[in-house]
Amino acid sequence: MSSMTENREVSARRGAPGPYLSGIAHVVALELKQRLRSRGWYIMLAIWFALTGLVTWLTWASWSASNAFQTRDFGGVSGTALTGPGSLIFEVVLAFVLLFALLVAPALSANAVNGDRAGGTLAILQVTLLEPGQILWGKFFAAWAAALAFLVASTPFLVIGVALGGLTPAYILVSLVMLAVEVGIVCAIGVGISALAGRPLFSIVVTYLAVAGLVVGTLISFGLGTGLTQGTVMANNPQYRAYAPLQSDPVDAGYTCAGPLREQSAMHTERVAWTLAMNPFVVVADAIPYPDRTVRQNFTSIGAIEGISQAARQAMAGPDGTVACANGKVQPTYLGQKTPLWPLGLGLQLVLSGFLMWLGWRSLRTPARKLARGTRIA
Amino acid sequence: MAIISEQPGGQQVPDDGITAQGVSRSFGAVRAVDHMDFHAPAGRVTALIGPNGAGKTTLLLMLASLLAPDQGSITVGGLDPVRNRAEVRRRLGWMPDTLGVWESLTAREILTQMARFYRLPASGIAPRVTDMLEGVRLAALADQPARVLSRGQQQRLSLARALIHDPSVLLLDEPASGLDPGSRVELRTMLRQLAAEGKAVVVSSHVLSELDEIADGAVFVNNGRTVRQQTTEEAAAAGRRYAITAADTAALAAELARLGLEFRREEGRRPGVSLVLHNEVGAERLLRDLVLAGVGIRSFAPAAGALEETYMNLEGERR
Repeated sequence: MSSMTENREVSARRGAPGPYLSGIAHVVALELKQRLRSRGWYIMLAIWFALTGLVTWLTWASWSASNAFQTRDFGGVSGTALTGPGSLIFEVVLAFVLLFALLVAPALSANAVNGDRAGGTLAILQVTLLEPGQILWGKFFAAWAAALAFLVASTPFLVIGVALGGLTPAYILVSLVMLAVEVGIVCAIGVGISALAGRPLFSIVVTYLAVAGLVVGTLISFGLGTGLTQGTVMANNPQYRAYAPLQSDPVDAGYTCAGPLREQSAMHTERVAWTLAMNPFVVVADAIPYPDRTVRQNFTSIGAIEGISQAARQAMAGPDGTVACANGKVQPTYLGQKTPLWPLGLGLQLVLSGFLMWLGWRSLRTPARKLARGTRIA
Repeated sequence: MAIISEQPGGQQVPDDGITAQGVSRSFGAVRAVDHMDFHAPAGRVTALIGPNGAGKTTLLLMLASLLAPDQGSITVGGLDPVRNRAEVRRRLGWMPDTLGVWESLTAREILTQMARFYRLPASGIAPRVTDMLEGVRLAALADQPARVLSRGQQQRLSLARALIHDPSVLLLDEPASGLDPGSRVELRTMLRQLAAEGKAVVVSSHVLSELDEIADGAVFVNNGRTVRQQTTEEAAAAGRRYAITAADTAALAAELARLGLEFRREEGRRPGVSLVLHNEVGAERLLRDLVLAGVGIRSFAPAAGALEETYMNLEGERR
């Protein structure tokens, strides 16, 4: 469409933001009324609640069983017993909730627009004073709200995990916010694709593939991409102290660097680490705060979430930050959380979902000039 | 901002109804609409008539500002839908051929939502919705989910939905399909009333007999082209075929032959003759002549509606 109409829309929006937002609110109300009256949503929610509860209970049971076993055999207190089961339960439940939220969100969002098209109700909305953006945002917020209900249902278990492990409420807050954001990203992708694709089945499958791409595809492309980053790094020789204790230490790498700098082959993982950053698990894990390990006293075992975050940051740092004695410097074995990775990943995810939403918005403009093959507007 | 003018009348429409000039629209290689002209004046019911696949729905979608024409222009009350989208949509009411109701919502909720989407003032919505529900006789079912409504009831709801913002141009795509005879009569009355209020009413259909009673004028389309525009009076003036049956068909035929009229024998369930008469005065005179000649006339009536006559003639020309 001409840029003139866009300008007009923009200026109309600027002149009166109230009607624009209230239009979105009315679409959300329409969508939610329909969703809240479908039995399927409640059934899914109930299954979800039961499943999350089961996972929480199983994690706790397996932890206490192994703990009892260790206590009986060794008579001492094991390492995990010091921190309690909390960190473990929290991490398992968080990973589970994220995984299933990523699986549920496409089902709730990816037929939002073309489902209406198939039912003949989309054109009813389009013929009113609603702008295409209002329809699209309304659909998105409704899908997001429906998906957030699943997160709300799993909150009790996250609280249990945090409470048992003596973690701070900040964990719950940050993790819930990040889960909500990730679910929102998937919903935006789903709504955008549903506006582009003709058939609901097709758009749902494509959205699942997009989610699979984010979760698995990023790992694969990072793995394969790393092979293309063969390069060199200047480094000299680490001299390990003979009496180095076996336990790893966050600050002291246990070696000194000596000798002339020589070229060593290394993988420049920092060039492809951005693919890893787009992984929803990496984004969530990296955003969750963990204790400052550079202070020696707090150092205990590293949890899975922290491990994911650290691994991703190692990849981002590249050989200059990870190869022993790169540029003649001693490398800390542990990277502080001063340069977070998640804003990059989240930014890339936002670009992707924003692009799809924009394409979806283009396809909702009326009077329509181009139609997707085989779609009828009414 | 006054969106609805409650008083009926065509005063709010200085420029007349809805007009399409030379519009074309293709879907890929298929030319659905090809240089079609269309005009529906305010205060009248205009029928859009054509066989299936003639381009009626595509034209209506373009008139409803959902589809942009490849070529040509459309004006609604003198405004261009592309430039004055909001203004045009306030004036347009559209009832699609696919009903498209939100099945889990009640009739009242559907109309309320639509009123909000048209940005009607919040305080006026509830009474307006109640009025509309009574107008289409759905008040008793107002709080039932739309999925329990029958097809005819859903059709009436769809009509109320198209009228909720009191549009000055009403586009109805096959509004009578699936309606029982009683509901058709009701629809007819309602459309006449809306036209009397000064709205431009466009009805697409291929059920022609009832359009005679509703429509003031008709636009015939076929193969994506406007084939003919005429008013119902013009259609009637163009001559109609009358069917006559008599107690003694032979006597009737003899009398007609004596009068020098060209006729055709109809060998249907009730044997009789049919012939083309140019106007109603001629029909009146013929009937009197036949009765005075002592032929026992059993029935004497137009064989088909005036619009049907034109339609069938067009079909004939096409072959």
